[in-house]
Amino acid sequence: MNLALVALVLASMASAARAGDLAATPLPVAPGPPTGLAGPAALRETVFGPRPEDIAPLPARVPLLELNVRTAWHRPLPAVFWFDARLRAWLSPQQHPAPLVIVIAGTGGSGNSDKVTTLRGALYGAGFHVLTLPSPTFPGFIAAASSTGIAGDLLQDGEDLYATLTEILAHLPPRMQVTDVDIIGYSLGGANAAIVKSIDSQEQRLHLHRAVMINPPVSLFDSVGRLDKLYAITLGNGDAGVERFYQRLYAELANLYRASDRSVLDEDFLLGAAASVLTTDREFAAAIALSFRLDLVNMFFAGDLYSGAGVVVDPRHPPKVGDSLEEIGIELRSMPFSAYFERVFAPYYLKHRAGSTVSSLIAQNRLSVIGDTLAKDGNYFAQTNRDDLILDEEELAWLERTLGRRIVVYEQGGHLGNLGERRQIEDLLEMLAGRWPGGSS
Amino acid sequence: MLLLGCGGCALKPVTYHSLPDQTPAADNAAALQRERDLEAAQAAAAARARSEGAEARRPITPAEAPSLRTYDPLSRLNRFSYRFNTRFDRLVFLPAANAYRRIPHPLQAGVHHFFGNLSEIDSVINYTLQGRLGRGVRSLGRFVINSTVGIGGLFEVAERLRLPNRPTGFATTLAKWGMHPGAYVVIPFYGPSSTREAIGLVADYGTLYAINPIDLYRGTQSWGLGVVNAVDQRAHVDFEYYATGSPFEYEMIRFLYVRKLLIEDSALHPTPKTNSELPAGE
Repeated sequence: MNLALVALVLASMASAARAGDLAATPLPVAPGPPTGLAGPAALRETVFGPRPEDIAPLPARVPLLELNVRTAWHRPLPAVFWFDARLRAWLSPQQHPAPLVIVIAGTGGSGNSDKVTTLRGALYGAGFHVLTLPSPTFPGFIAAASSTGIAGDLLQDGEDLYATLTEILAHLPPRMQVTDVDIIGYSLGGANAAIVKSIDSQEQRLHLHRAVMINPPVSLFDSVGRLDKLYAITLGNGDAGVERFYQRLYAELANLYRASDRSVLDEDFLLGAAASVLTTDREFAAAIALSFRLDLVNMFFAGDLYSGAGVVVDPRHPPKVGDSLEEIGIELRSMPFSAYFERVFAPYYLKHRAGSTVSSLIAQNRLSVIGDTLAKDGNYFAQTNRDDLILDEEELAWLERTLGRRIVVYEQGGHLGNLGERRQIEDLLEMLAGRWPGGSS
Repeated sequence: MLLLGCGGCALKPVTYHSLPDQTPAADNAAALQRERDLEAAQAAAAARARSEGAEARRPITPAEAPSLRTYDPLSRLNRFSYRFNTRFDRLVFLPAANAYRRIPHPLQAGVHHFFGNLSEIDSVINYTLQGRLGRGVRSLGRFVINSTVGIGGLFEVAERLRLPNRPTGFATTLAKWGMHPGAYVVIPFYGPSSTREAIGLVADYGTLYAINPIDLYRGTQSWGLGVVNAVDQRAHVDFEYYATGSPFEYEMIRFLYVRKLLIEDSALHPTPKTNSELPAGE
């Protein structure tokens, strides 16, 4: 009994030491300007994306199957996630033998978002089978396919993605003939794609050939930290800044609508009006920061719920189906990623990942964790932009040094602002076909 | 048999559902056309503003925007309806709409135009009640042209003659008369609405039922037509419950829907009402 008591005391001391480590070294402030490499034009390109006339040729029709995946490893579903019992993914199979491309969405993205749909069309039109998955930070993935419920760790998310893909590929339609398997992703999804391929190099269950990262981050937490800074500068702390921004957008949209001849405010009007509503650099930056913060709200809520951290949800009385989540949403909207890291993410992983420290957690969420592999394996590629807002100069230089000729850096496009453009798609197809200089054939 | 089949599906790790084909080339072409239409619309709006001169509408200021919170005194009931609608949509409505989307497009278009043409009757009546006689005459013109040249409304001819479709209903009439949307309401089967919109829906249906054009709204055929109309409308709504994956979706949809209503209302009055003092919250 004495030994058990000693073990208990030692364990609690170790836990306290790691918690003390957290208190002593919170998430470092991200270096560099909050807009990264982006200037005014890049901010606009990030918000608007490519112009329709610049989009690569797309096919007339793309068949679509929705997959509902039931994973054996997901944690018990909290009541408020009742609708997310199964993971949704999408498959567009060719009628002939073809290589399969797996597409991983960016932060908070579903497997059927507009960006994913564009990539799906371009890849299907080029003759690939296409399988699209949501980001591991998408709430549907967290609920149905995460083994922890705490999203945002490159290694753990990679493991969960790998397990999910193994399940899916083991249950592809029997008539579908797959000659090769590649994986791509954009933004955080690009980093996820590279990690999944590196896992596969050991596990060899998916036989992934090539991986292409489109506008990937280099240091997850630095990129996110910059977006936190951007939010603080453009919208301030608390909800007052969000309210002012909303009021301005509302007035602008209402006045545009009043000047139109329409009788109904529909999607056509909104998509057309979007180009006129935001005008200043600050507003574009605020829109980008707010969009990311809203994705974080879902991730933070899920993480708090699953970990029982008690940040906004009382773990003894979690919200039930039918309860209002408005106050929780308002509270989370004011919380930066650093709060998620310090109050949910780090406490969880310090406890569950043996020997980890705050510094090691941060280091494990840099692409350099597979730096050697990226440098030496000719089957990893990247596309990015010289004015990407999630990168700073050092990070871009690291990507160029590490990947050598296997990275193409476009002079403009912001963050994903050129996703789907002719040249970007042509280069992507060259990389996947093994015709890119410097790559393995 | 259906239950046994579904029970089998529930145990499989991966199940497949066939969806309508995506049409990326056409969607991109539509996006390009939308940009061009917007430029033309903005030029027309600027010309209208110049000709209106002193009668130009006073712009809405940011201070007049409604609160970030939405008036939702029926919150618990609405959330129940939202969950019911999610399940109904997944099990019945969306599969029916997806099956409908597979029928040849000209046939779909014909059905859609047919029901749209019938609703012009309601638009004529309501534009008249709103005092917007010009628009009422336009709706009447559309109805006559599409019913005759468009062969009973199966073909949309009027739009090609520069008579664009601008539907309205009794909810908009109430808005024109000064009624605020009221409480947010989620109508079972139907979706997001408000007390005013709900009254409008009943009145619109009642109008067509009373007029009973070509005896479509009485008798057993009316049920079948009602179902076809509902499925056709659902097939034209690009929305899926909880496609966001977010437990905050109810709050988000409520926020967007009510602001859409208020912005539409603002176009009905030259001097906009201040929405910042409307009741708010659950």
